[in-house]
Amino acid sequence: MADNTSRCLVTLLLVLGLITAGCTASANSKLFFGKSEPPRDNVMRYVSGSEPESLDPAISDGQPEARIYMALYEGLVEYDPKTTTPIPALAERWEVNKDSSELTFHLRHNGRFSNGDRITAGDFVFTIQRGLTPKLGSRNAALAYYIKYAQAFNEGSVFVQDPVNGQFLLTKDFEEDKTPPAIAADPKVETPKPRGPLSSQPGQTVAAEYPTTPDEKPDADTAFHQFMHSPDRLTLPVDEKKRTKVVDANPKLKSAINGKQMVPVEAKDIGVEAVDDYTLRISLAQAAPFFLSLMPHQFFRVVNRKAIEKYGNAWTLEQNIVTSGPFKLVSWKHYDRVIVERDPMYWDNAQVKLDGIIFYAVVEGSTIMNLYKAGEIDAMLNHTVQAAWLDTIAPYKDYMDAPEATTEFYNFNCSKPPTNDVRVRKALNMSVDKKAVGAWRHQMPLTSITPEGMFPGYPQPKGDPFDPEKAKGLLADAGYVDGSGKFDPKKFPVDQIEITINPDGNNIPLAEFIQAQWKQNLGVTIPIKVMEQKTSLVARAKLEYKGIFRTGWGADYMDPFTFLGLYYTAAGNNGTGWWDPKYVALLDEANSTGDQQKRFELLARAEAMALDAQPIMPLMTASARWMKKPYIKGMYPNAGSLFAWKWVYIERDQAKWDYGVPSMTGP
Amino acid sequence: MLRFIIRRVVVIIPMLLIILSITWGLIRLAPGNFYTAEKKLAPAIEQNLREKYGLNKPWYVQYRKVLWNMVRFDFGDSLKYEGQSVNQILLKALPVSLTLGLCAYLFALAVGITTGTLAALRQNSWIDYASMTLAMLGISIPNFVLGPLLALVFALTLFWLPPALWEGFPSRSIILPSLTLSALYIAYIARLTRSGMLEVLRSDYIRTARAKGLSERQVIFRHALRGGLLPVVSFSGPALAFLITGTVVVERVFSLPGLGNYFINACFNRDEPLIIGIVAFIAIAVLGFNLLVDISYGIIDPRIRY
Repeated sequence: MADNTSRCLVTLLLVLGLITAGCTASANSKLFFGKSEPPRDNVMRYVSGSEPESLDPAISDGQPEARIYMALYEGLVEYDPKTTTPIPALAERWEVNKDSSELTFHLRHNGRFSNGDRITAGDFVFTIQRGLTPKLGSRNAALAYYIKYAQAFNEGSVFVQDPVNGQFLLTKDFEEDKTPPAIAADPKVETPKPRGPLSSQPGQTVAAEYPTTPDEKPDADTAFHQFMHSPDRLTLPVDEKKRTKVVDANPKLKSAINGKQMVPVEAKDIGVEAVDDYTLRISLAQAAPFFLSLMPHQFFRVVNRKAIEKYGNAWTLEQNIVTSGPFKLVSWKHYDRVIVERDPMYWDNAQVKLDGIIFYAVVEGSTIMNLYKAGEIDAMLNHTVQAAWLDTIAPYKDYMDAPEATTEFYNFNCSKPPTNDVRVRKALNMSVDKKAVGAWRHQMPLTSITPEGMFPGYPQPKGDPFDPEKAKGLLADAGYVDGSGKFDPKKFPVDQIEITINPDGNNIPLAEFIQAQWKQNLGVTIPIKVMEQKTSLVARAKLEYKGIFRTGWGADYMDPFTFLGLYYTAAGNNGTGWWDPKYVALLDEANSTGDQQKRFELLARAEAMALDAQPIMPLMTASARWMKKPYIKGMYPNAGSLFAWKWVYIERDQAKWDYGVPSMTGP
Repeated sequence: MLRFIIRRVVVIIPMLLIILSITWGLIRLAPGNFYTAEKKLAPAIEQNLREKYGLNKPWYVQYRKVLWNMVRFDFGDSLKYEGQSVNQILLKALPVSLTLGLCAYLFALAVGITTGTLAALRQNSWIDYASMTLAMLGISIPNFVLGPLLALVFALTLFWLPPALWEGFPSRSIILPSLTLSALYIAYIARLTRSGMLEVLRSDYIRTARAKGLSERQVIFRHALRGGLLPVVSFSGPALAFLITGTVVVERVFSLPGLGNYFINACFNRDEPLIIGIVAFIAIAVLGFNLLVDISYGIIDPRIRY
């Protein structure tokens, strides 16, 4: 009897199971885009975008490479899969000193390279020193410029030493009060970062500098540490001509430099120190509260000294390479794929869930979508789903849409008429309905410089709202008037202004949309100029574009400063010609504040100041816009689209699949 | 004949020189550099990169290097792809383009000649009209439209073939790209075969062959095809050169690691050594194939004498 019942039950369950399985299977084809069958092997197939330039994490600054580097290399800290804030990786824990000008990392004792070598603090010192070596030509080096003497070393600068007493000239003795440093006025030269205060002056102990932790001995106050905390040495360009220019601008310096000896800044002078095998101390040139959040960047991921010294720049070839991440290289077929497999030497190998990953180098959006639909790949890089496809793709449950820490905006050329007039800039900004742009593009409209809702606790100021009438008034004030003193669109110099864009992605339809907005709201037709990308970037750098230039910015680290810093210098990525020493002073004040809330308030004040000058027209906060099969778990549409691969896995139980964007909060 | 060949080979040298000089000049005229990117580099870092790749040297030193590299056929290191030499890249990319080109070539010959012959034998029948309509479509549909269309049918609706990626030879991944690439050539060859065959079939020697009492099969294969295919032979030489070097669009649509894909990206990346290497290679290939075709004319057609 009991037998019979259980048999009935089992049969019933089986039938029910079959029915539900049938239902889900048929429902799947509507829920998800194309085939949704997990691959037979425990290997994930991901399209990472363009062909990687190199597998050397110091070389490439690209996003496609960043994702491959995250599989192959590990740093002191890793991006959190959901929030992209730094979490422990090769460093178990760390301390930051009171004014955020020095960080001490405590490394795990079981970190190993793929060749079995132990990973020690010395390897990190080597990694950072190598990355900054001028000959290597790393494009990421500027990220490490916050480290003391790093910029001087990378630029090939010299210290000035008195040959008699061995004393070095100090920066503080030659600073002119209130005026920005001499070379700052020259927009072609990057402004040196002003020196923030360092909490510990010579003679103070390490213990006084860091918050006290019980049963924890403060790390040694070494001679190097003393050197780092001694007043900044003066650095000058090694190039004779440039040096003369700097020296000539400062008469006090000119007289002091006589008879002195030029000592090149060397790798050993950079503020990275292996206190012992498992303690690494990084001293910064200034207070930089955001520095930790840029430490997961590829530039700081550890590389193997032996392999690099043995093979030179051929060390990344598959037969030579030594890696430090959860996966190691199997093969690299150029312009096709990079195959990696789980590395048994990795310290946390037990946590790594995938047996391997294939990174395909595919760039054509439609080709990627085809591969995805046919079930040949499991996920793709961000921004693949184009605006034109969104109406079709957005309803599917495997579409990953979330705001990114990336903004899209138009630069105004503040050095040429008519956009050198702030009223014109404000009017153009006010007469574009950002909400309409956002709704059309399925993205969040933006009126500020920083992306919206990205930085918890940051009191982001809002820019001017949509107001065509006020815009017309401003343009009338600017002098574009008819006989009766009202705004006359015919007077607006459309021959001096154009929307400069490159033909990639959705730039052309967006420009047409904005053009239509201006035509509708102001009666002005501003022409669109399409330029090949590199050509356009040169025009932007030299401020040669007429009036308006499309651009965007992706966060280097999760802090408003990565956006506000764009206008910290007149050169670099500014591209607008707007630069204000008062704005710079506010940013400096903010970054030297220990209190995060106060710092945010000061940064917000700076942002409001920039918005008032309107060097740019904000448009949208970008969204991730990619797809992943529902059986891929542990991958989240985070703000940087950066995935710590060791937590990604293939779920074969349909009940546990992701139906929609996975929850981004909670554990 | 030998003197002709020597003369032609000697002419290739100044032609290469001109081609390379123009290419080099154009690259230098193009704004931007291999390191120009949305995120602008600090001036010191740009300086480091220029130093590293010898871009600080005067133009004549750089130009001399380009020429010397050409003489040695060693184009130096790629600027974009750290640690890879242009020769390594060429060696890796060439087999892909070659495989693809040859597959498409053989496919075009087989399908083109068959349909062309059938159309000629059944002139004005439905076979003739259907195949000539298809040929017209093949000529007029560009391959960047045909490729995605084929992928839509065979990869996304029927799930028979992969929609992209390269799995090497032999594999299913070759079928769609070589079909896309060959469509135009199938069409040309079919039309050439048809008209050639129609002309030959009306000629006296075919009538003689039939009068002799030969079977229809013997008439077609032994006599008619040999004459009817002459235009196809003269077309197929340059066609092969184009098929091997002209795979840019197809490689891009199907994401294949061939020369074309490298070339187009090298231009966008301003990767000077790689652009020059690929241009030199393509120039040599085209000039070489043309020479071969000229020589083969001399062999096939007794009326041509050098």
